[in-house]
Amino acid sequence: MSIRHVLLGLLAERPKHGYELKKEHDHHLPGARPLAYGQVYATLQRLERDGFAEVAEIAQGGGPERTAYAITGEGRAELERWLAEVEEPAPYVASPLFSRVVVATVTGGAADGYLLRQRAAHLARMRELTAEKRSGSPARVLAADYALQHLDADLRWIETAMERLADLRGEIDA
Amino acid sequence: MITVMRMMVRGRSPRERARARLMSAGAALATFLLCTAANLLSFRIDAPHDRLWVFTEHEPRLLAALTLTLLVVPATVFTYQASRLATATRERRLAALRLAGATPYETRLVGAYEVGRQALLGGLLGGVAHLAVNVALWRSLDGVVPLLSPMWTLVVLAAVVLIGVGSGLAAGRHVVASPLGLVRRARPRGPRAVDLLLVGLGVALFAAGFIGKGRFPVGGPYGAALSVTVGAVLLLFGLVLAATWLIGAVARRAGRTAAAPETLLAARIVQADPRAWARALTVVGLTVFFGSAVGAQQGDILFSPWLTTSKVVAYLLIDLALLLALVTSAAALAVHQAEALLDHRRSFAVLAASGVPASALGRVLTRQALIAASPVCLVAAVAGAGIIILTTADAPGWSPGTFTFAAVRAAVTAGIGVLAAVLVARVSRRTLRGALRPEELRAG
Amino acid sequence: MLEARALRKTFGRTTALDGVSLEIGEGEIVAITGPSGSGKSTALHCLAGVIRPESGEVRLDGRRVDTLGEDARTRLRRENFGIVFQFGQLVPELSAVENVALPLLFNRHGRQESSRAARSWLERLDVAGCADLRPGELSGGQLQRVAVARALAVGPRVIFADEPTGALDSLAGEQVMDALVGTARESRTALVVVTHDNRVAAYADREIVLRDGAVAGTSTAGASTAGASVAGPSAADGEVTA
Repeated sequence: MSIRHVLLGLLAERPKHGYELKKEHDHHLPGARPLAYGQVYATLQRLERDGFAEVAEIAQGGGPERTAYAITGEGRAELERWLAEVEEPAPYVASPLFSRVVVATVTGGAADGYLLRQRAAHLARMRELTAEKRSGSPARVLAADYALQHLDADLRWIETAMERLADLRGEIDA
Repeated sequence: MITVMRMMVRGRSPRERARARLMSAGAALATFLLCTAANLLSFRIDAPHDRLWVFTEHEPRLLAALTLTLLVVPATVFTYQASRLATATRERRLAALRLAGATPYETRLVGAYEVGRQALLGGLLGGVAHLAVNVALWRSLDGVVPLLSPMWTLVVLAAVVLIGVGSGLAAGRHVVASPLGLVRRARPRGPRAVDLLLVGLGVALFAAGFIGKGRFPVGGPYGAALSVTVGAVLLLFGLVLAATWLIGAVARRAGRTAAAPETLLAARIVQADPRAWARALTVVGLTVFFGSAVGAQQGDILFSPWLTTSKVVAYLLIDLALLLALVTSAAALAVHQAEALLDHRRSFAVLAASGVPASALGRVLTRQALIAASPVCLVAAVAGAGIIILTTADAPGWSPGTFTFAAVRAAVTAGIGVLAAVLVARVSRRTLRGALRPEELRAG
Repeated sequence: MLEARALRKTFGRTTALDGVSLEIGEGEIVAITGPSGSGKSTALHCLAGVIRPESGEVRLDGRRVDTLGEDARTRLRRENFGIVFQFGQLVPELSAVENVALPLLFNRHGRQESSRAARSWLERLDVAGCADLRPGELSGGQLQRVAVARALAVGPRVIFADEPTGALDSLAGEQVMDALVGTARESRTALVVVTHDNRVAAYADREIVLRDGAVAGTSTAGASTAGASVAGPSAADGEVTA
């Protein structure tokens, strides 16, 4: 998956060791799930096995052993190939939100009330993100924008869904 | 094409209907005045009559006919001003026509049809009104007033309709609608050096007519009168074009030093489009100019030993005609103010919503009128009196009393002109109140 | 501070407001949202005292607003409210600084003093460079920031904004909202913003959802009135996956 490529991208700058990579990952992708330390090392080892990265230096001071990794020529080629690729537009809708609304509609339950509550929850999260943007780093602002616009899309879909439900009810009542 | 034109006329908005009615009224007035002038000219010349000497004696009769013809100018300007009302709606419609595939020429034809139709309706109305007055006078004044030949009425009617169609074709000139329905308006030009030539030519003709009174090369005294009239009109158009510059300068100054927000707003709005004001004030300026000139001329006569009753009556008639012209031009001004208000209704409505009282916005209107009308009336009054004084000051009969009379008369005329503009602005406050309704705040 | 009770307003045969009640606190930022035709703008106009509801009441500091005459409401608006619209609110013939100075001049401040205050407001909203330009020469975002400066210039207690970003692209809209919300918070001015844009609504402390002229629900930064258990939206990398 793309963690390999993100780490490759971070290594492209200069050789780095695992702890540094984890910190930079979390800094540049603040909205993403934080990387586990073990995951970083596992990924680095796989990169080394595939010939995309190599050990550059092993520092052995008073502290723990610190291995710095560097990107190889093959690694650079792989990174470029990945960057040139187009992300496939999501082919399936597999959101829990979507499922919940559809199920609520099918079972004839109070989908309307549910949608209103969901809207409130979404908006609350959007409020947090908007506040974060005010003081955040550029990377954080980019991440917040991404999240905000997805939440906004969800909300607009919710609104359309509510209107459609109202129309449908009108037709049934008529 | 005719079907499209009919469709367009049927689908008009109330505002456009009002505009059409105003245009018809202007055309009716012009037709009536022209017919009456023609009627006057067809009188039996020099038939002695004790009460109706103004109409039967040679010189006063010509003077009256000339005055009536001159009155056509304010009627025409009024019609023109009315045709400018609801321009935005009309432009949108013309753009829609282009979008639907009409050629630029065809859209102009539609415009010409609309104006021509109103001119015909108004012209018919004016012709019929004149006929009624004519028949009534003919019957009651034992044949002194002859019946005007229907030929003449038809000629006048045709002229009015032709002018209407022509101006309708011309009106489309400034609006360039692209086939995509975009409308942009060609920028009106600013004052140019050629305008000064107009002023010069006007002064020359005017002066030639006066100086060469008795021995004018063409047409004798009537040629001289014609030269004076044409010169005066040319002069005034030149002056009004210059007034565009003058109004702009006065407004700029007023805007820079204004302490009151009403004055600031008024000055800046006038400054942004001095041309519209100069155009609307054309007839007011014309009236003030003639009023002032006639005043100076009267001063010359009133203090002279050759004063006759017939002259006093003739002057009174001229003053009456000038007053009529002023009323017509005031109506043209009212139309201009209404048009300007439509352009500002949104920003004014927002100002009102944020707590600017309607009375303050009303003051903006009156101050606009003051800023624009004062320089025009002042220049027109000084020019009118000045020309008479300059060309006849060497003649016998000029005394301090004459000068004083001329000066007072010029000042009063200018004052009346400004007052008319201000009164119109006060009347426009009703329109303003309509424009400030909260519905104007709605988006889209 | 500002409250409305059971507002009802009809235009012809359409009911715009059908019993709306809401309350705005001192310095609070509230978004009124809802689909088009839900009565958002009408509610705003009633709250701002621009129009009078047919029934119900509007109170500012407990004092009835809706029963006041036109003159008194005009004065009240001038002293307490600032208004920002979607477009077309600046006088096209005046420069930006003159537009901002205008309400100050109407409040009988001197020309010099008003101009100086207007310039400092323009500076605060990052449009000092546009001070001497006319509205026709400004971009949409600059226009709106000048309009915000004008609304703030008189030191109002409440700013009403009707779709302030409606005519802007998302980045320009964000700059306007940042400026509007930032200055409102700094000067502890309450802000009521009518919008159909959720991202604009997310600037508010509280959202009031209107539907068919009535309040359908409200939500605050803490919780929603609809309450109950809610599956929290996981933001960021989203729930729509391949």
